[in-house]
Amino acid sequence: MSSADFVALLPLIVLGATAIVVMMSIAFRRSHALASTLTLVGLAVAFWSLWPAAGEVPRQVTPLLVIDRFALYYFGLIIAATFAVVLMSYGYLERHDVRREEFYVLLLVAALGSAVLVSSDHFISFFLGLEILSVTLYALSAYLTERGIALEAGMKYLVLAAASAAFLLFGMALVYAETGTMSFPQLASDFAAGGAAHLWVLAGIAFMVTGFGFKLAVVPFHLWTPDVYQGAPAPVTAFVASVSKGAMFAILLRFFYQSGSRDLHATLLIFGIIAIASMIAGNLMALFQNNVKRILAYSSIAHLGYLLVAFEAGGLFGAAAGTFYLTAYMITTLGAFGVIAVLSASGRDAEDIEDYRGLFWRRPGLATVFTVMLFSLAGIPLTAGFLGKFYTVAAGTNSSIWVLIFVLVATSVIGLFYYLRVVVALFATEHIPSDAERPLPVVPAMGGVTLGVLALALIWLGVYPHVILHAIQSAMSGIF
Amino acid sequence: MFHLLWLVPAIPFASAALLLIFGPRMSHRMAGFLGCASIGLSALISILITWRFIALPPPGGNYTQYLWTWMNVAGFHPDIALYLDTLSLIMVLVVTFVSFFIHVYSVEYMHGDEGFSRFFGYMNLFVASMVVLLLGNNLLLLYLGWEGVGLCSYLLIGFWYTEPKNSLAARKAFIVTRVGDTAMALGLFLLFDKLGTLTIQPMMHAAQLQWPHGSVYATAAGLLLLGGACGKSAQLPLQTWLPDAMAGPTPTSALIHAATMVTAGVYLIARTHVIFQLAPTAQLAVAVVGAVTLVAAGFAAVTQDDIKRILAYSTVSQIGYMFLGLGVGAWTAAIFHFMTHAFFKALLFLASGMVITSMHHEQNIFKMGGLRKKLPLTYWAFVIGGCSLAGLPLVTAGFYSKGLILWGALSSPVGSTWLWIFGVVGVFMTSLYIFRLIFITFHGECQKEPSHRPGWLMGVPVIVLSTLAIVGGFVELPSYLGNHPWFTNFLQSSLPATIEAHHPLMSELGAEGWAVLAFFLGLGGAWYLFLRHREVPEALAAKGLGRALHRWWYTDWGMDWLYDRLFVRPVGWFSRTNKTDAVDLIYTGTAALTRAGWASLRLTETGRVRWYATALVLGTVIFVLIVALL
Repeated sequence: MSSADFVALLPLIVLGATAIVVMMSIAFRRSHALASTLTLVGLAVAFWSLWPAAGEVPRQVTPLLVIDRFALYYFGLIIAATFAVVLMSYGYLERHDVRREEFYVLLLVAALGSAVLVSSDHFISFFLGLEILSVTLYALSAYLTERGIALEAGMKYLVLAAASAAFLLFGMALVYAETGTMSFPQLASDFAAGGAAHLWVLAGIAFMVTGFGFKLAVVPFHLWTPDVYQGAPAPVTAFVASVSKGAMFAILLRFFYQSGSRDLHATLLIFGIIAIASMIAGNLMALFQNNVKRILAYSSIAHLGYLLVAFEAGGLFGAAAGTFYLTAYMITTLGAFGVIAVLSASGRDAEDIEDYRGLFWRRPGLATVFTVMLFSLAGIPLTAGFLGKFYTVAAGTNSSIWVLIFVLVATSVIGLFYYLRVVVALFATEHIPSDAERPLPVVPAMGGVTLGVLALALIWLGVYPHVILHAIQSAMSGIF
Repeated sequence: MFHLLWLVPAIPFASAALLLIFGPRMSHRMAGFLGCASIGLSALISILITWRFIALPPPGGNYTQYLWTWMNVAGFHPDIALYLDTLSLIMVLVVTFVSFFIHVYSVEYMHGDEGFSRFFGYMNLFVASMVVLLLGNNLLLLYLGWEGVGLCSYLLIGFWYTEPKNSLAARKAFIVTRVGDTAMALGLFLLFDKLGTLTIQPMMHAAQLQWPHGSVYATAAGLLLLGGACGKSAQLPLQTWLPDAMAGPTPTSALIHAATMVTAGVYLIARTHVIFQLAPTAQLAVAVVGAVTLVAAGFAAVTQDDIKRILAYSTVSQIGYMFLGLGVGAWTAAIFHFMTHAFFKALLFLASGMVITSMHHEQNIFKMGGLRKKLPLTYWAFVIGGCSLAGLPLVTAGFYSKGLILWGALSSPVGSTWLWIFGVVGVFMTSLYIFRLIFITFHGECQKEPSHRPGWLMGVPVIVLSTLAIVGGFVELPSYLGNHPWFTNFLQSSLPATIEAHHPLMSELGAEGWAVLAFFLGLGGAWYLFLRHREVPEALAAKGLGRALHRWWYTDWGMDWLYDRLFVRPVGWFSRTNKTDAVDLIYTGTAALTRAGWASLRLTETGRVRWYATALVLGTVIFVLIVALL
């Protein structure tokens, strides 16, 4: 490996090194403040290292990893989102009587796994990245070991993720058995030569869809989502919903675009069915749900359905629209779960819709941030969520996928109902619980500032999307 | 200097946000200071920009401040950009300047009100929206401002919302203007569709190139825009909301429902004058609407007994003059009248606010009287404002602006003697109703003692506006007074000059003579009927035809009654009887269907891992089968 390779890999190296440094520091001295500060510094350095790395792209580092603008854009998203999760975790963990420091090691490793995932163009690295991410997530979901529901979430996630990984691996094996290669670019030339028409290849891709579908939590692989979202600690849910899904969507784009298998009739049909089923099921199941974490879980199923519409639209426009949508969605979920995290007391997370009744009159700032997040999820103009949906629909009309567009629009209207249900509860003026009934914890300064920044970022993206759009456009050079 | 332009709307907008968010925690002192200071700054910047514009005009006579592009999709890329030319400059200057004094006045007027900071928040938001309306370089921004001022108007009419009457008035204003807004939106869609751009100047240019004189599209667009203007500017047949809008606090009436917002329609037509020049039918419609409105509202004003309603009808009538001016191609005259009207009508409203506060919120002029000695400042403000409104020759601003419109109506190639006669009758009516108000309120016997004299916060704005109501007209002197059309020359770069043909029968001075005669006839009539022999009008209105006519005019020609019968009741009846119709089934059916969908889908969420794994496997099997069978 040349020095240029090292520079290109710098973000990955810094993430991995930070995990080790934090682990070592714990061995010498347990300090929550020290561990979290080291993590933040490491993430900041990793973010900075994107610029030197950008000088070396695009670069194939070993046959396993490719560092291009696409990977770097997603690195940025992953690192920034992890940074936000760390900020909101600090106050959350302070309230819990657990060993807090290892949390950050796990978080860093999970971020590393996600980063490997988005930069892989080979089955081996793809699978490695996925497993690094998954294994840490099992532990993170069950981190609050005194909570039964958290252990349950971790176990469910472990069993089902392992099963889906088996399908993914089997699919890869089938493709390899037929083509004899595991690298995406070589697959592309093989497919172009007519290899894609072979039954074993197609079956292999269908098996792989299960692996993708499970991590993205789309119908019919979605059933774990509400249980895990509810059981896992709020900051972990934020991470699962944003970083893990974001990285998975990135590798979805990269694999199907780069290998050329996106254009297969079968792929489009399968993902079309999944998208429609996810949009309908996700939105319907959230309707009368009273647990805010579960509402957000169902809403995430629907949103991944919308994202698949962008995937179905295809082309540069579709991929760019999907990436913009994902960026907006990551900010939004981080904000929404961030609100839950800062409101959660030590015993339980603030997940009951009743916890939010009249919140505006008790904590106006938090309620405003939450409202902005919900509006963005619902796709109300001037938020990034609206523009994301707008671009997705525009990309869809470009490719004339009318059925998907119709379902997207119709289910968005249904979705409005449950988002507004929460908003109505936030601004309710009657039956507001008193401080004695439902005490509100003091909002930690760091968490509060993070939420404010996220809300501003959302509106900034919604009003002035220029900068991000430009970055996304150049990032797409990686997969085209 | 010009790059400060964006601050003119931004400062009031920021302070509105502060006032609406933190207002409840602010002291009244702080809220009042913030509310006034922001508008003051805006006004100061507008003055600086005006000064710079006059001293060193930008190349081409206009300046565009490009801020950013909102989105860029398939050729649709609305810019967030401000366009400054002499037309928008004059309007922005007058709006911010008059607003500032009305804000200062409000500090005393609203003193101790529960919603003090809310009031200033809405008022600041209004000024910000109005400036966006005036400065927007494309129709989207213009529409944003247009709806923004409509929203603020709604919020401020219903400001004291605990009184159901006020909420109803607010709702009426919102719904009636909505009728016009719909027409306007259709007009904008038509323009965008046919001309392919949203930016106003290129759009006007394209219209000139693509559409022949008298084109159907131009006529349709012009008439639709006129519909929007009629709603916002309270012209026939959509004028009915404005008198009811007087339910809002008096400074609101002065600012929104007299000086600024209601003239947005005038601005819209002036801004898109190219369309109207291409469509003679639409332009004639503007003139006819203006002429009929100004006379009809004059009759309604003469019969009212609520001091604010008289002024409201007067506003309707004066905007009628502006429409008349626009309709005969006397573009600059209409803008000139907008400016002088902003001065004297704001003055009259502020003065009426003084009367109302010192009379324990009494608004019926017949329960007042003899206030001349008790409230001298208010009295003189009314005399100056009234003279300027009615057009006392030579010394008042209203005389010059109205004279210019009347001469345009007579002499312009698209004008006619009929339009001019309507205008002169309007002068008579104006003079009659405003001096009726003054004589009944301030002369005669004192019926009720005023509680206090207004303080200096209310006094100073009134004095400033009184001065402007006099000297504001000297910027444009007609040909028979030395011919110094400074105002017209200034506007030349954005509005075409009136093409003055000479009238075969009358000179400008001769025509002016008739208007002066009408003024003095009105004054004399008011003096005779409402000061000398008050029993005469009472006797006239007491029985027979006189009573019927009085009743008819008092209800503004029975328009509310008519609309109530024609629209409100049938719609209400239809919706009541049709509560559970087939159309509803679609909605309740959809709701029931989604509910059923939720109920059945939730059954899949069992919490059991074995079922989750089964679903996962089933899904995989189905997808593999699809692939295998295809």
